[in-house]
This record gives sequence, C-alpha cells and structure tokens, in this order.
Amino acid sequence: MYATTVPWRQSAEIAVMHPSPAFTTVPARRKFAPPEPSPAPSQPKAPTKKVDWPQAVREYVQRSFAPDAAVAGIDREEIEKVLKKVITEAAERDALVSTNWEAMPLPQQIIHTERARMAMPVAAATEPWRRDTTPDRHVALAGYSNGDSSKKRKSADTVMSDADDDSIPPWRKANPRNVFEDRITYANQGQADRVEKRQKRKLDDLAKGTSKYQENLEKRKQRFENGKPGNRSPQSLHHSQDGSPFDVNEGPIIGTCQDLEKRYFRLTSAPKPETVRPLHILEQTLDLLKKKWKKESNYTYICDQFKSLRQDLTVQHIKNEFTVNAYEIHARIALEKGDLGEYNQCQTQLRALYSQKLGGHPAEFLAYRILYFIYTCNRTDMNDILADLTPTDKQQPAVKHALDVRSALALGNYHRFFRLYLETPNMGAYLMDMFIARERVAALANICKAYKPDVKIRFLTEELGFESDQDCVQFLCDHGAQGLLEDRTDSVVFQTGKAGLLFENAKNAAFRKVDIKGQI
Amino acid sequence: MESVFNDFKRAIEAGDGYGVAATISPVPPPSDPGRLYSFHRSTNSYSVQTDFRYAIVYNNDIQLNKMEGNSWVDVFVAYWKAIGELLLAEEVTNQGKSSQAPWGRVYEAWKEMATVLLRGYTGLIFPAWTVPCLYVAGKYLRVFAIKADEQAAQSNGKVTFNAGFQDDIVSSMGKNETLEDAARQINRIFAACISDRAPLEESRKWALYYITNLLFKTYFKASHPGNLSKNVLRSLQASQADIPPLEAFPKAHQVTFKYYAGVVAFLEEDYARAEEHLTEAYRLCHKEAQKNRELILTYLIPCHLLTTHTLPTQALLAPYPRLQRHFTPLATCIKRGDLAGFDAALHAGEAEFVKRRIYLTLERGRDIALRNLLRRVFIAGGFEPAKEGEERKVRRTRVPIAEFAAAIRLGSGGVGMDMDEVECMVANCIYKNLMKGYIARERGIVVLSKGGQAFPGTGV
Repeated sequence: MYATTVPWRQSAEIAVMHPSPAFTTVPARRKFAPPEPSPAPSQPKAPTKKVDWPQAVREYVQRSFAPDAAVAGIDREEIEKVLKKVITEAAERDALVSTNWEAMPLPQQIIHTERARMAMPVAAATEPWRRDTTPDRHVALAGYSNGDSSKKRKSADTVMSDADDDSIPPWRKANPRNVFEDRITYANQGQADRVEKRQKRKLDDLAKGTSKYQENLEKRKQRFENGKPGNRSPQSLHHSQDGSPFDVNEGPIIGTCQDLEKRYFRLTSAPKPETVRPLHILEQTLDLLKKKWKKESNYTYICDQFKSLRQDLTVQHIKNEFTVNAYEIHARIALEKGDLGEYNQCQTQLRALYSQKLGGHPAEFLAYRILYFIYTCNRTDMNDILADLTPTDKQQPAVKHALDVRSALALGNYHRFFRLYLETPNMGAYLMDMFIARERVAALANICKAYKPDVKIRFLTEELGFESDQDCVQFLCDHGAQGLLEDRTDSVVFQTGKAGLLFENAKNAAFRKVDIKGQI
Repeated sequence: MESVFNDFKRAIEAGDGYGVAATISPVPPPSDPGRLYSFHRSTNSYSVQTDFRYAIVYNNDIQLNKMEGNSWVDVFVAYWKAIGELLLAEEVTNQGKSSQAPWGRVYEAWKEMATVLLRGYTGLIFPAWTVPCLYVAGKYLRVFAIKADEQAAQSNGKVTFNAGFQDDIVSSMGKNETLEDAARQINRIFAACISDRAPLEESRKWALYYITNLLFKTYFKASHPGNLSKNVLRSLQASQADIPPLEAFPKAHQVTFKYYAGVVAFLEEDYARAEEHLTEAYRLCHKEAQKNRELILTYLIPCHLLTTHTLPTQALLAPYPRLQRHFTPLATCIKRGDLAGFDAALHAGEAEFVKRRIYLTLERGRDIALRNLLRRVFIAGGFEPAKEGEERKVRRTRVPIAEFAAAIRLGSGGVGMDMDEVECMVANCIYKNLMKGYIARERGIVVLSKGGQAFPGTGV
C-alpha cells in the first residue's frame, strides 16, 4: 500500500505524523515546508566540529542543499552521508584547501552517477565533471560504490531515467524511454524479431519477419549514429569486481554467469552475480531456446528456461527491446501450448512494457488481449479495453479483427463469427480455439430453435467453420445428438426440430464458468 | 484556532454531529475563506499539542470527560498537520506547478487523521452521534487520493518496475494505487460501523449507508466496480437483521445507495433487479437534483430498453441535453429499424457510452432495431387471400427469406448480406423470442406464428 509513497518521502512522513516525544525535535528540522509557506533552507551541520572550514567548502555544502540542486529520488540523509564522506576524505588527505571545490560534483550527482553505473553493467558513464578531476579523486569517488550511500534506493525508474541528465527531473521528461538503449550492443540483431510459428501460419510470418528485420536494421543504424561516444567506455565496475554479496537494496545486480541454460528457481533471497547471466549471454540464450523449441518442442523445458531468463532480466533491471522480445516469444509459445496462466503473466508484463514504448508488437498483443477477454467473458475488462483504444489502435488489422469477433458474438452473428475465425491473423486462432467449441454449441442452440424440421450437415459444416462433414457429425455426436442424425439419399440431415433443449443446456453449461488462471 | 474551537464547543454542547464534523473539514466555510490558513498559523508543531490540550481539555466551557477530550486533541493535532500539508500543496498548485504538488503527503497526513479519529470510535470514546466526522474523513480520503494519483501519474508515469528479486520485471501498473489504499481505509470505517454492537439508538450503524455509498464511489473510480462492490452488498445483506431499514436513513443516503446497487446489478447484466433499484432511486431522487436524475436515467434507459423494449420519450429526455444528444438518435433508429443508422449512432456515442459502461448493453438494442425491421416486412406482406366463410383477415405468415434479405439491405444502407447471414439474423430473432416461428431452410421461407403473436408484444 505504500508503493506510491516514494521512499525518501516516507521517512519524512513518519517523522511528521507521529506526535510521540521522541520525534518532536526531528520533524521541526526535517520538514521541508510547513508551517511557513516558504521556509529558508536550514543550514546543514558541518560533519566535524571545531574546524574552521574554508569558504569554498562552506559554499560547496550550501550548494549541495540548495533547493534547486535537489534531485528526485535522493533524500537529504543520503546527501548528508556522501557530503560527510567527501569532506572527511579531503580533510584526511589535507586537501581541504587545495581541492577545487567549484569543480567538485555535488553529493547528489555522485549518488546519481553511482546509481547509474550500477544500473548499467557494461558501460561506465563518463560524466562531464569527471574530465578535469585528479586521479586520486577518482579513487575517492569510486569508494562510494561500496558505501551505504544508496541503500535507500528502491526504484529502478529514477536511475534509468535520470542517468543522462541531472538537470532535468524525471517528470519533465516527455518520453521515459530507456536511455541505455543506445548503449546496448545486440550481438545478433536479426534474430531479435524472428519467431518460430507453426505450420499453417508460417508463410505469413516469414513475410512479416523480413520487413521487421529491415526495420530493425534501420533502428540499429540510427542508434549507432546517435550514440554518444562518451557513453561507451567499457569499464568494468568497481563493486561487481570485488564479488561482495549483492544487497537487494543496493540496486540492480550485474550478472557474471556465462552459461546459456539455467534452471528456474524462485528466489527467496538476493541472487549471487555468478548465477545471473548478463544481457549479452541472455541474447545468446534466447537464440538457443528458439532453436531448441523449433527442434524439440519440449514445453516443460522451454517454459522453465524462459522463466529463468525473465528472472535474470528482472534482477538486472534490464528493460529494453530485448526484454519485450523475450516476453513476446514466451507469450507466443505459451499461447501455442494453451498455457493460459503463463501467457497471461507475459501479457500483463508486456502491457506495461509497451506503455514504455520499447518496441515490440503492441497491436498483435492488444488483439490477443481482446480475444482473451472474449474467452473469459469479462465484461468489465472488455469495457476498459474499449475505453482505452485509440483510433490508431482500431486501424490495426489484428485489432480490428478482434473487435469484429467481439461484435459478431455480441450480436449473436455466428455466421460472421465463424468466417472471422477462419481468417484470424497471427496466433489469435490459438486463443479462439479456446472458445470455438463453446460458440459452436451456442450457435447450435440457436439453430435448433430457429430451424425446422431439419438442416443438412453440409450447412452446419459451413456455418460453424468445421473442417469437414465428418468433424461436424463427430461434434454433434459428442454432444449426444447421434439419434438426431438421419441418412437421406443425397445427404445427412440433422433434425433440429427434435433437438429440443439439448444444446441449450450444453450452452448454459459451457458458459457457466471460465477458468481464469493467473489473471490480474 | 479560536473560531474552530468555538464552533467545536458549540456543536458538542448542541449535540450537533454535522457541526462537529464541520470543524475538521479541509474546506473552509464560505463565510470565512481564510479559516484554514489562520488555524494553521495559530500554533506551531512544537506547541500544537499543548495549545490544543488547553483549548479542549482544560477548557471549562467544553464539558468532556478527560479521555474523550484527549482523543479529540489527538484528532485535531493530526488534522492540524494535514491542513499544513494541504495548504502547502495548494500553494504549489497555485504557483502553476501542479505536477509537483505533494498530494501524496496530504493524503498520508489525512489518512493519519482518519486513523486517529477512527480509533476514537473503535475505542468507544466518541459517541455515535458524531459519526458525520467519519463522513468527512472518508470523503476527503477519496478526494486527496485521487489528487495524489493524478500527481503521481504526471511525474512518474504509470508503471512501477520491480527492484527486488521477483520473477517479473513489472511490479504494478496501477493508475490508482493511492485510491485503492483509500478504499481500504474507508473499508475499515465500514467495518467499524457494521460491527458496532451498541443499541440502535446510539449505534454507528447509522453511518453505514453513507460509508457504503462512499465505498461504491471509490470502487467505481478505481475501475473495478464489480466484485468489491458486491462484497459490500453481501456483508450488508448478511447483517440485514441488525441494521435499521433503509427507509429510516436520510433520503440522500437512500437514493445514492439505490443508484449504486442498481448500477452494480446493471454491470452484472441482472437488468430486472437493476431496473427495480434504479426506478426506486429515480422515484426518491429530489426533483431538482438534475445531475443525479441524469445519472440514474443513464442506466435506467438502457435497462428499460432491454427489459421492456420501450424507448425513452422526448418529454423524458427534454431536461437533459446530454442524454437527449446520445439517446435520441439511437431511439429513432431502433424505432425505424434503421440498422446502418443505429450502428452510426452507436459509434458516434461510443466514447461516452464506454465511459459510462453502457456501450455493451446499448449494443443489444440492435436486436430490437432488427426486430422492428423484420416486423415491417411482415406487415408489408399483407394478408392471406380471404377464404370463404372467414370473417377475420389473416396475415400472410409464410415470408420468403429473400424479402427479409431485401429489407436488411435497405436497413443497412444498401449493403447486402448473403442469404446464410440473413438466416442467421432471423434465427437470432427467433432464438431471443423477439419473433415467433421457424425457418424452413429447404423451402427458403420463414413460417411465422399465426394469431397475432408473430412479434410478441408488438400487436402483430
């Protein structure tokens, strides 16, 4: 329930709200604003007493706490800690006077950079302020990575979006794109979008895959052109080298595991870096999994592997096109195997990832989502999804198809529904397979009441989208209608007039309850 | 400070629950717009506790026992803090920096106030006649939560990502996390009211329907109206025997409750029950509460369309331009059997209908439009050639499918359908009991019921 209360606020909150004596002195100082509308920023205590601080140091401290230097996500306590450390170290080195305090980064910048570097395993950011620093300052700064300065860090968000530019607060940024996207090298980009699909849909996908491939090449080219050279110094990180055990609160882990395959285990404590695979390994993993799926189709194995892949992405806070890709592939495979629970988890994740505009195939999965809600008969969610649709969404062929399916069913137009079933794009047919039998029963209930005395099997086969008359007869027999079939000279007829409530009851049973696994 | 505590004293003496509630309102009375500000300025965080204690407990004019006095002091201290946050947030907003206004902190401070207040009730310290205080606390929990969510959405975006060691990357995508927390808090108030065992005269149960309505309102805003609202209704149902009858509650509570109960039934597609509740709400609703009547009609009209196949009259819609704009085209097309017009009207109002959650229901009105169209074919078919000795003329009850197909083509603005689809539409009408008869496919005709029952309820 506190999820929206950002951590740096929470602590102040508690202090403000509890009137117990132990806190009474603290809130008076810690509160930012009340009771006065515009409070003067209280002067921070200098870390050690009885020292006559040089003016430059005082100014540095003042700048650190100036309201306009505040950075979202970094609270006062953290700043104080880092500040103390910076000054103490300068004092220990007797460099209080010699240090160029003007050029010294503010504590919040240090924290920031530190977080950013932790968030990004491969490339250490070279920030502008680092250029004119002395080598021993580098050592001093690097020291913070192991300090507890960033213990409070909870959300990967701030880190990701703030990393490039301190002066722009996160909420000002129009598009919270992953700023690290341009730092990631895709070892084998072309594979990123090709997905194995099954027999009948193969041709479609091949065509789509190539155009996608082109598109990605373009994107990739752009990335290289726009990429800032400063972002690309591949330095290994201080804190991951010493192999110290990973602390969850400290930020994303940086994996060092080189194995492509890994069993999935639910984490109960922070993972060790040596058990987590970094992005470039995961990319190879995905490749391998795709090949294996094509060759062996062992779903138990594949699902397990994908779950561990997803887990590795999560603990390293990797949110980019690759993440989307991995989730999409897992969703498609789950769909194909009718594993709706797993599919649904991926779908939920994808929805959030798409909202971050990380690429992928939002229209395709939006269409699946609509079909899924048809399957679950979830009117509330269906209404919400309709409310969220943009005119552009509705133009997408897959989405349009799904919406047509919905409207056909809503109006009881089984004729149109089964035509739409036969021309479902992408893998939507796997979803429609989930409710096709149910809708056939419903249509039969309808037909049995409306047609008398009988109809030809051929008619049913065509209206209800069966592959053949045999399938149709089989379906009727499965529902206990074998006695109602009559062999005539030219055809087999189904005596609808005598079916009575047979299919009506079957329909009511079929719609009674839909199992919705893992739905959010 | 003085004016607040004077009001407080007066209300306590008079036993005026709403008067007491007014002293902890986060909205200043119109007569004294600067009241919150001066109240907040009248003390500071260091001495607020002492000041308020002097004003309440040690004030001989206010006759409260010590425990009750102290509890009110706690409430007012929490209230004072919340007001501080509120004034700050309003100030930031007024400076045009609404995206930075700390509404989250206002919400948290207000929640603390609500918690302290509720403790006074669960601890059996505050008398039940002061329950309007809970109304104020609950009402603004919701208001501040909505603002906090808006602000959070502006600054953070909607998605929260996992930082721990969960399996999946996204932890939540709630637009309304604070509001959902508010719903939980209000639910606590609900629980504290429904579980009160005191005799009815001094029971908190009298707050039940107000709080229930507030819960409904919150759930609807948090966009999961269905299940949670049902839970509330169920727990009300379960303790029905111990609760005073709905009629004994203030009319305002009754109307709102009936309205929400009706809408919940509506969303569950239980249109008969929905109609019952909504009709009651409409009947009780103050005739000048235009907005409320409009809301009730928004659901009552589609309900009525489905249950009785009747359309709203112009006289009914006249006072509500919005309803008129959306419902009149639909009604006209249904009456005329104009399928293409109906589709266009539904599409034109789609955004509004979806927002009100009536789209999926109105969509079914197309069946009625189709029925009316087919009925016209039947009437246009005229009568059977008169047989000898028969006085009454008999309508032609064997209608070729092709005639219906032609009508549908006309009704759809010239767009044809193949015969199978036409049959499908006719079959639907028969299946839904909008039309009595059967399709004889081999002969390509529809055989309709004789004896004036071919289209039940329409006179032919």
